Amino acid sequence: MIAAEHKLHAAPAEVATPAGESEAAEILRECSRFKTAVVPCGSGLHQHIGLAPQPPFVALKSERLTQVEYYDPGDLTIGVGAGMTLRELDALVKPHGQWLPVLAFPDRASGGNATIGGLLATAMHGPLKHAFGGVREFCIGVRFVTGDGMRAKGGGRVVKNVAGYDLMKLLIGSYGTLGVITSASFKLFPRPRQTATFVCRFPGLQNAMAVRDALMASPLAPLALEIISPGAAALLHGHADDAGWRVLLRASGSDQQLARYRDHLGNAASAELTGEDEAAAWSLLENFESALPPDAVVVAVSCPLSDVAQVLRSAERAALERKISWAGIGRACTGSLLIAFLGGSRPEQSISAVHALRASAPPSANAVIRRCPDSLKAGIALWQLREGELEIMRTFKNALDPAWILNRGRYFV
Amino acid sequence: MRLSAIRAKLTAICGSRAVLHSKEDLLLYEYDAGLARARPDFVVFPSTTEQVAAVVALASESGLPVVARGAGTGLSGGAIPRSGGIVLAFARMNRILEVDVANQRAVVQPGVVNLELSEHVRPLGFYFAPDPSSQKACTIGGNVAENSGGPHTLASGVTVNHVTGLEVVLADGRIVELGGKSSEAAGYDLTGFFVGSEGTLGITTKIMVKLTRVPEHVSTLLAIYNDVRDAGNTVVEITSAGITPAALEMMDGWTLRAVEAAAHAGYPQDAAAVLLIELEGLRETVDEQVLAVEAACARQNAREVRIAQNDAERQRLWYGRKNAFAAIGRISPSYYTQDGVIPRTRIPQTLEHIQQVAARYSLTIGNVFHAGDGNLHPLILFDDRSPAETEKSIQAGKEILQYCISVGGSLTGEHGVGIEKRDLMPMLFSDEELQVMRRLREALNPRGTLNPEKLIPGARTCMEIRTPQFPGVVS
Ligand SMILES: Cc1cc2nc3c(=O)[nH]c(=O)nc-3n(C[C@H](O)[C@H](O)[C@H](O)COP(=O)(O)OP(=O)(O)OC[C@H]3O[C@@H](n4cnc5c(N)ncnc54)[C@H](O)[C@@H]3O)c2cc1C
Repeated sequence: MIAAEHKLHAAPAEVATPAGESEAAEILRECSRFKTAVVPCGSGLHQHIGLAPQPPFVALKSERLTQVEYYDPGDLTIGVGAGMTLRELDALVKPHGQWLPVLAFPDRASGGNATIGGLLATAMHGPLKHAFGGVREFCIGVRFVTGDGMRAKGGGRVVKNVAGYDLMKLLIGSYGTLGVITSASFKLFPRPRQTATFVCRFPGLQNAMAVRDALMASPLAPLALEIISPGAAALLHGHADDAGWRVLLRASGSDQQLARYRDHLGNAASAELTGEDEAAAWSLLENFESALPPDAVVVAVSCPLSDVAQVLRSAERAALERKISWAGIGRACTGSLLIAFLGGSRPEQSISAVHALRASAPPSANAVIRRCPDSLKAGIALWQLREGELEIMRTFKNALDPAWILNRGRYFV
Repeated sequence: MRLSAIRAKLTAICGSRAVLHSKEDLLLYEYDAGLARARPDFVVFPSTTEQVAAVVALASESGLPVVARGAGTGLSGGAIPRSGGIVLAFARMNRILEVDVANQRAVVQPGVVNLELSEHVRPLGFYFAPDPSSQKACTIGGNVAENSGGPHTLASGVTVNHVTGLEVVLADGRIVELGGKSSEAAGYDLTGFFVGSEGTLGITTKIMVKLTRVPEHVSTLLAIYNDVRDAGNTVVEITSAGITPAALEMMDGWTLRAVEAAAHAGYPQDAAAVLLIELEGLRETVDEQVLAVEAACARQNAREVRIAQNDAERQRLWYGRKNAFAAIGRISPSYYTQDGVIPRTRIPQTLEHIQQVAARYSLTIGNVFHAGDGNLHPLILFDDRSPAETEKSIQAGKEILQYCISVGGSLTGEHGVGIEKRDLMPMLFSDEELQVMRRLREALNPRGTLNPEKLIPGARTCMEIRTPQFPGVVS
């Protein structure tokens, strides 16, 4: 099921749907000249992140940029328009036994509706980040238009390329503030032919972390390893009858390879899922954010591996002290966690919990607010940035969007 | 400021034993492993980030270029001080500052030699994945600047995939930290953007890298072919079978013979090409993949597939590959290592094209390259005592690159643009696209003091501002 999608905060003054790069460039040149704000839009899935862009603005939609620029399965590379969705891309490459490892089940998760432009702009990732890293590791080329209508390009179509600046890195995670992405190229990967998921349940976080540590000390290389807090498990499964922590581990390979995982986990695994059960379990996780109630305050925490437990404990304590519930899932082996505070009718308690989490989390952790009722956004820093970095970011913003029209007011720059 | 005044200031910052200025002393710093040459005014050996910052600030005030230098193994002239100025040599900033096993990270100074880091952490079960063939000499600072790769980047990625944080000195001498030990940082991915910027946006003074676990099992195969096209087709055959080898290297017949003569790796003398294929991971995975790879080679008419039976045999197979460049050096006064990229499905026709170019220019061109990711390294043999021959080999290299681009490839896969390919960038990028890169460069390097005349054609250089603003400077 596809959960409700978040759309634009305010009605755009105008909607533009360029048919190609040159049209997009023309629109941006014009907007830049008149300093008209522009909000680049894909499917609208992630428009809730950041502050509401200040109206009036033009919504620049990528919906007509859906072309396949090239796809040669032998090269395991593909180039597509920014408006193509992850689900559509998956349908193209699946018949060739390949995948773009962002979502394992784009046909089920609402994230499958995300466009390629949105994927890059938000650096969106899910449980597969464990094995494949973020999209920065496999985006090999990008074309975009700067705020003032210059047509720019980074990388190309080949998997190894150091000609010129790596503009992919700059654009990925820039939330549409540096340019409007028009197309992108990716390295694809062979799709696993056989997988199994091992479910481990534990009374406490400590046991769950011990399993993670043992896995990391082993030569095993699963596709995903996700830690799930008791509250998250209850939320995902719709009942609160089992209070423990879970670790879900998904591995791929032949029977012999899967046997290695089974042996390694031994008694720690209480169930093994395959086929439909496996798909259902992972799509629930990939849908985690959209399954949360609308008033949830969600933070994405990135931290070093040795701080994962401390971050989760800080979140738990912050919720307990405020008598609100919370739910957390995440990539325990990459230190990428999603934490939701569920203050219900007291959303200000959720904000207070985020403050507490930030204060008690180790300094190396970084907590970015992904979702929060608009009325409360003014009361908290949505991004945690250091001054030195921020200055460089502003410098780049000036260079690529001199009139500051792109997503004005939304991001930190 | 006169040069003597600058010298006094450099000495005050780094100490007199850390500043070179005499002609003889500077001679060594006129070149790297590429073709370009130019003499700096000073070579400075900083020991701390603060010293680097002070030197960079001084350069900015006086309009002098600053060019960082690691080991000088770069092949595109990146470390060459084209317009003189200060070379910042990182030989003294060569410490491994921290090994953090729990977080699978290490923090190093830029002058640490690539292989030293791997050797340092191997007893702990880890290594640093980027493994340029020059890894015995090249520095991690150089790897970061060039976004270097190596034979094993097919499966594990290039340098940028293994760097999570940097400390950099900006053009005005400010010290900033980018990223950290976490896998993601909030805001723009400045760390990722700095990697591969060839010292044109800032000077790296500290690097946080990922450490990778040593695989449980490794198997190395040598597939031997009578026809180079079959070897090329095997590459696609293997990846289409859903296998991503850790490394998939190719050597053509000419290179094989040259390497064998020097390195005695046991390569066949009469073959048209060999593939060196390495598989790593879980024992079960590797065992299955070895069978699948053998079958793929057989389907593409490999006449023989040898599998290294032990570590010594494995080392021997790699020895020839890793020392291929040195071997060529023994038989030719000079050679020009090109670096182009093509989609891997185009290997057979590209190798054919390269031989046509060789014939047309009456040059010998060997090929030893990272076939798995389509990263070619044609080795063009010439005699550098003859300017005409040097020019001819440069032209031949350019034609090969033109072909790479025409089939959807790139100018450089890992050696960087530097001086060598700066003026070829318009083959790949439009004026507008280059202009965007120039803007970003000028945003952080407004006076053009950081590694001028590299990477982007027509970027502002400090030469333009040097004369009017600092009439006292001569170089
Ligand atoms: C035989 C041989 C084999 C090679 N094989 C490979 C290979 O397999 N893969 C590959 O990718 N490359 C290869 N190279 C090229 C070269 O070794 C790499 O580019 C390497 O990363 C350069 O490191 P270096 O320390 O020698 O850097 P240098 O040559 O000293 O400098 C290279 C560039 O880095 C900049 N730089 C250095 N340090 C810093 C710093 N601290 N801050 C900012 N900028 C800095 C310099 O200004 C310059 O632009 C090979 C070279 C040789 C000679």
